[in-house]
Amino acid sequence: MMAVELQSVSKAYDGRRVIEALSLTVTRGERLVLVGPSGCGKTTMLRLVAGLELPDSGAIAINGRIVAQHRRNLVPPENRHLGMVFQDLVLWPHMTVSEHLEFALRYDRQLKPVERPARMREILDMVRMADCAEARPATLSGGQQQRVALARAVVAHPEIVLMDEPLSSLDPELRAYLCREILRLQAELGFTLIYVTHSRDEANLIGHRSIVMQPA
Amino acid sequence: MVVFALAVVGLLPLLAMLYKSVFADGRWTLSVYEHVFSNPAQYWPPVRNSLTLAALTAVCALLLGVPLGLLLAKTDVPLRRPLMVTLCAPLLLPPYILAICWFNLMSRSAWWGTDNLSQSGLAPSIWLFGLPGCLLVLAGALTPAVIILTVVYLHAVNPRHEEAGRLVTGWRGVLTKITLPIISRGILFAGLLVFLLALGEVGVPMFLRYPVFPVETLTQFSAFYDFGAAAAAATPLLGVTLLLLVGERLYLRDKTYELLATAPGRKILVIPLGRWRVPAALAAILFAVITVVLPLVSLVVSSLSPFAYAEALNKAAGSIGRSILFAGVGATVLTLLGFLSGYLIQYRALAVWRVVDTLTLLLFTLPGTVIGIALIALWNRPGIGWIYASTAMVIFAYVAQYTALASRITVASLGNVPRSLEEAAQMAGAPWHARVLHIIVPAALPGVIAAWMVGFIFCMRDLGASMVVYPAGQETLPVRIFTLMANGAPSLVSALCVVLVVVTVIALGAFRMLLQSAGHRR
Repeated sequence: MMAVELQSVSKAYDGRRVIEALSLTVTRGERLVLVGPSGCGKTTMLRLVAGLELPDSGAIAINGRIVAQHRRNLVPPENRHLGMVFQDLVLWPHMTVSEHLEFALRYDRQLKPVERPARMREILDMVRMADCAEARPATLSGGQQQRVALARAVVAHPEIVLMDEPLSSLDPELRAYLCREILRLQAELGFTLIYVTHSRDEANLIGHRSIVMQPA
Repeated sequence: MVVFALAVVGLLPLLAMLYKSVFADGRWTLSVYEHVFSNPAQYWPPVRNSLTLAALTAVCALLLGVPLGLLLAKTDVPLRRPLMVTLCAPLLLPPYILAICWFNLMSRSAWWGTDNLSQSGLAPSIWLFGLPGCLLVLAGALTPAVIILTVVYLHAVNPRHEEAGRLVTGWRGVLTKITLPIISRGILFAGLLVFLLALGEVGVPMFLRYPVFPVETLTQFSAFYDFGAAAAAATPLLGVTLLLLVGERLYLRDKTYELLATAPGRKILVIPLGRWRVPAALAAILFAVITVVLPLVSLVVSSLSPFAYAEALNKAAGSIGRSILFAGVGATVLTLLGFLSGYLIQYRALAVWRVVDTLTLLLFTLPGTVIGIALIALWNRPGIGWIYASTAMVIFAYVAQYTALASRITVASLGNVPRSLEEAAQMAGAPWHARVLHIIVPAALPGVIAAWMVGFIFCMRDLGASMVVYPAGQETLPVRIFTLMANGAPSLVSALCVVLVVVTVIALGAFRMLLQSAGHRR
């Protein structure tokens, strides 16, 4: 079964084509890595799948259901059940670590309210952030912030997780450590992963399959 | 230079005022305070009225301004720009002109005729005089400040924060749990600003005969010529302002989350209203018509008598010319000082940047009458009396009161100029003044022009401070209108108000042209 399918998707900004007739399939549980130079449309592709951008043409399907087609979002982002780690992490500055996870869990319909605290503890343990549950983002180190962003993306049982160069701002040692953490999380939770990076090393380490994108 | 200027027109006058209130004949005494505050029955009602009016105005301005700011900044409601311009128009006018507008609209002789209502005992002008009228006018005058600040803060929110929320929930959840909490401290600041501006307002409560504390201060000064009592009466206003600003500083320190300046290239996320677009636009238009357009139209209509404008020019031509001249000079000085203090604050160029920032904000939020009295306390003394008797006092008052505006605009403008531009010039060997003149100013030119224009507008509309410090025979147009309100014909007063509005609008047009030409050059 296909987790994500792009059918001849094109996208332009201010008349400049970023993605041109891209077709792509990602199977369930797969770890797909998109590699390519800046401006080749990697981030745009993730944002199209997430529903944060609309395709100019073509269609996008998630789990066999068309979610966007020809400038129309048929399923809004919040109903696509995706997790996403943004390049600049975008942790909400007014929330603690646990409030980040609570916010994501509040809208998880698979989970009863009484089950939320246990799920939160489980994920915090998984990303080794249980000790920092009440900390705000500004007080955390870069690696800790990265793990909070990961935890937020996976806490609500998403079937698909999108990661947009999540480790680009970290030093090589921390990057290698977090790559292993991502692999461990994916193995434990079983989500489909679409991962964007500049680094061939990261691509080789993370991906079952890599796609090299070129500017349109 | 900035520190010296702010000390001369702001800090030292305040200290001189405090000194004069506690020293008489060379010895320490609290007699003037005892005299002023010895009669609680006389002292407390104006204090209570001031606090009630300021608090209600802040609440109303927030309840109206935040939703309108959200509507105009975050949604795809049609006619956003004209609505924004219309809703913010009252900010260009002295609040007491809005009081005149509402009076014209609601008086028995109003052009739409309230005689029938008067005969049935429902005359709207009855409740206009007092707290409801003051609240109506001040909420109308200050809600634009909340709208503008809400829009500015919304533009400074990182859209990625909202997108991260959109993956989990719809726009309602994102707004209530992410966007509004992130800008909540900015909204709190807007509320505080409105509270302080309403607390210091003199013109509206005087016109609508609602006894508030700043009027009491002014009365002590102008009616009884009792300077010590005026200074003593002004001190609580200084205390309240200082207390609230210190509280705000302590509470907001390190909590302003990326909201100090907008990042270049950031695009605000727009909420599609769908089928609510047209109803939302109609509601906003209706609100703008009732609160802005109708009062202004009533002003114009009531000025349309055969000789009103001829008489206005006859009686106030000098004041019109002086207002334009003083506002032009004041705006130029404000732009220079505002730029330097903004540079100081943005780049933390000197250790005293926080003091400068706080002092300018304190002076901005202080009642104009207090600033006027403080300036007189410092400058009315032997040897420098020629300064006290000159129009420099009016410029000093403008600089003291409005430097915060120019410096805040500069800070926002410099936030969009990469520091590396100046660093590159520094590495090329350019001295500081050359870097500022040839690199920073051109890069921040729209902000500099905006600072001049905003300074001009606020100097043009100033009443509180200029009413206290203007030299004999040198009154400005707002002061002239205010004095004519007591015994001038309503059509004459309305005509002068229209003249003030027209001059301000012409200045705005010039601002727009300058901005456009600056944009073309860039």
